[in-house]
Amino acid sequence: MAKNLTTPALRRRTLLRTGLLGSVCAAGLPLLAGCGEISGGEASVQTQNASLDILPEYVEWPLPAEPDLVGEPPDHPSAYLTYPDPVPQAIPEPREGSGSYSIYVPNWGPSMAKDDPYYTAMAEAMGGTRIEFVQNDPNAYTEASVQWIKAQEFGDGILLFSWMTSADANFDETVVNRFANLSEVLAGDISERWPLLAGRGDDVWAASVWAEDPANPEETSGIYGIPWTTNGGPGNGFFYRADLLAEAGLEVPTTVEELLEVARAWTDDPAGKWAIGGTDYMSTAWFGLTPGSGWSSQDGEIVHNNERPEFKEWVEFQRQIREEGLVHPDVGTPNFDGKAAQRAGEVLFDQDGWARWTDVPAQVAASGENPDFDLDVLGALTSKDREPMYHAASGVAGWLFLSNQLEREQIEEILDVANWCSSPAGTIEQEMIVYGIEGEHFERGDDGRPAFTEAGITAKQDSFAFTAMSGVVQNVLEGPADMVQRRFDFNASVLPVLVKDEFETARVTAPAGADEAGTIFDEKVNDIIMGRADLSTLEDAVATWKADGGDATRAVYEEVHRNMEGQ
Amino acid sequence: MMLRTSRSSATPVPEVLASSEAEDAGTETPRPVLRRRIPLRARLRRDWPLLLLVFPALLQLAFFFYLPSLFSVIAFMDYSPYRPLWENPIIGFTYFQMLFQDPYFVGALINTLKFALAQLLFVFPFSIFLALLVHGMLNKVLRNGFQSIVYLPYFFSWVLVVTIFLQILGQDGLLSRWLVGMGAERLTIMNNPETFTFLAWMQWTWKDAGWGMIIFLAALGAISPSLYEAAAADGASRWQRLWHITLPGIRPVIVLLLILQLGGILTVGFEQYQLQREAVGWQTAEVLDTFVYYRTILASDGESLGTAAGLFKGVIGLLLILSANNVAHRLGEQGVFQKS
Repeated sequence: MAKNLTTPALRRRTLLRTGLLGSVCAAGLPLLAGCGEISGGEASVQTQNASLDILPEYVEWPLPAEPDLVGEPPDHPSAYLTYPDPVPQAIPEPREGSGSYSIYVPNWGPSMAKDDPYYTAMAEAMGGTRIEFVQNDPNAYTEASVQWIKAQEFGDGILLFSWMTSADANFDETVVNRFANLSEVLAGDISERWPLLAGRGDDVWAASVWAEDPANPEETSGIYGIPWTTNGGPGNGFFYRADLLAEAGLEVPTTVEELLEVARAWTDDPAGKWAIGGTDYMSTAWFGLTPGSGWSSQDGEIVHNNERPEFKEWVEFQRQIREEGLVHPDVGTPNFDGKAAQRAGEVLFDQDGWARWTDVPAQVAASGENPDFDLDVLGALTSKDREPMYHAASGVAGWLFLSNQLEREQIEEILDVANWCSSPAGTIEQEMIVYGIEGEHFERGDDGRPAFTEAGITAKQDSFAFTAMSGVVQNVLEGPADMVQRRFDFNASVLPVLVKDEFETARVTAPAGADEAGTIFDEKVNDIIMGRADLSTLEDAVATWKADGGDATRAVYEEVHRNMEGQ
Repeated sequence: MMLRTSRSSATPVPEVLASSEAEDAGTETPRPVLRRRIPLRARLRRDWPLLLLVFPALLQLAFFFYLPSLFSVIAFMDYSPYRPLWENPIIGFTYFQMLFQDPYFVGALINTLKFALAQLLFVFPFSIFLALLVHGMLNKVLRNGFQSIVYLPYFFSWVLVVTIFLQILGQDGLLSRWLVGMGAERLTIMNNPETFTFLAWMQWTWKDAGWGMIIFLAALGAISPSLYEAAAADGASRWQRLWHITLPGIRPVIVLLLILQLGGILTVGFEQYQLQREAVGWQTAEVLDTFVYYRTILASDGESLGTAAGLFKGVIGLLLILSANNVAHRLGEQGVFQKS
């Protein structure tokens, strides 16, 4: 019987049985659910302690050339107006090494080939140790790194900026399970072998300590990372095109209200000009909100930014500038390139890191596209007669974590490299790290300062490699004299109003559910800002956030606060 | 009568059964078909070159699909990557319970089904339409050019696709600039949650419909031109030829792809929604994959919850494939595999 050629009538019962099979099974799964306990999820706190025995002893490493402008480090770094001549060598006799190590880094610039002569020159200069950098797409780096680390697939080491560590909700657990404990090697006086690392100070090393058991930090703590750049001073800048502002006959705003007026006057939608680019992380200070964790003590109570009336004002402001069409329409999309938009004169104001202030003017000057180009930075804006506030960057900006699969000798060899890379600005070592090989990647200008050649711009500029090995022993501002002077003056001007996170020395792991509650809250706030939800929904969002994890986290911060106050 | 014969011929027919039907055609009483079972050893001796050809694919499947699938067991464990697999305690269905009780899971599931259905209803037929369009082109240069242009976007990443759409349809895109120049308002389609499904449809169609077209074109190429010639000689119109020859000819491929697409109904993609999440809002763009991403990779729920969600998607997909395949068999189609 050729049954396959005939089309049997579908029986209703069979069809129902077949069609409903999936849904019944899917619906049945929850009914089958068991009730096994999930471990973890408890909050934990690790408080920075600069008096731990495992830390290296601080031995000052004096700068080889005296700065021209003396500041108040770390929040107001000193500066070189003239380039040191002759350029000093920080480590005249680097320790010999023969190992080869791979280090994972994010990279915003060009990638050099592994066999590029630059790497050979660096290995020779550092004593023979070869470092191969696995340079990754910076946009995907943060989240991808969480998986690499868990799978132990990050070569011999990985650089993580401190803000990246929050991508792993159980980062404290990850650290002690995947990274090498450097305490045995680093404890005590290390100034003979690693003088620059010894000169970095107790605070940065204390910030590099994690405890296997947070409840017993005295006995289970270890140094798990080589501290990267020491933060200090104003964290970021709200840059504006001073030339365009002057051309439009507008004054530099000092308050949020003035900023809005200037933005309204300058914005010309049909001409493709919107006054404001990115504002989110810079504008919270204008409303008196707290940096970092967002938790602070207000009138004796521990509260989070989310629940403060100032936060509602900030949300209103963010919504208002969008409703009035003052923000570049691409902000919030992958299409928005603030640096390019500001350079092209499409936006007047935009937030960014400090590299914007030196890089963009240098690029514009090199291209000769606009001789009048002038980029400046706004000071501390205020709103409604509040006290001015500028958020400071504090603590350590990141860590180079080494694999726990490395032997002690290998760790020591990498620390040799880290020590070499800790050399400050204005030394031969930093020149090689930042600018590359003289004659190929850079040449000296009349002032003796290195300047990239065409080859250097193509192959080396912004390429993130040896910078990852360690932060420098002391931050000193260096660059074109006029820019250094402006930055130095700006740092001095905001120094009195710099505000730090009250809990910057506490590493808090939030209780279960708090991270998810925070993410959902941020999404709801984003809906309000973008006009998809009414401002009145903010209260409900705050209440939900508190119930789902906000209040539980508050209890942890209250405990930390009591400990800090010595109660 | 002629057209009915053509339709029968266009349908792939198993060899043994076709010959029995041919024999039946000349007789009054149908005889039972005798199937001679060939011993395994003989079949191996006969088919070993084919099996050898299949072996690398099987190996690849085993290592990269079946072996990793075994690790789905972590959905039932209180898993930590920092201890050996066997030391992770079994906790049963707790993570499934967490998943189904999450207040935001249902929203993500509904969005996923909405997008999957839209893909099924509006992109899938569009591929068939494109294939028929290209198949009807007689100018070879035009046909090849059109074909290449239409399927090239399939190889673009979602980042590129979204960027191109922003450059064209964004508030500061080409069209908006032109509209503003004409004194009109800027387009808001790229950040309007109410039209996001339409936007997503445009993006899927532009990116994927061309690729689907290639598969249908291959199926169309297998239809014997003599059927069209015979039908034309019998006076069949273009529409009749399409309805009675072309569509029945590619029906097995349509069914096959439909079944496979049903299997992946809960996997509508990730990057497309993630990239446009901020512009249209999380409640509009939240699908199961983004939900899992925010609950596991960016939160503390970890690998077990993600695996539970993946397993849920896999089980639903498998059941849908089996159900659809069953329906296909009952409708006389071959389906994903031939019923023995």
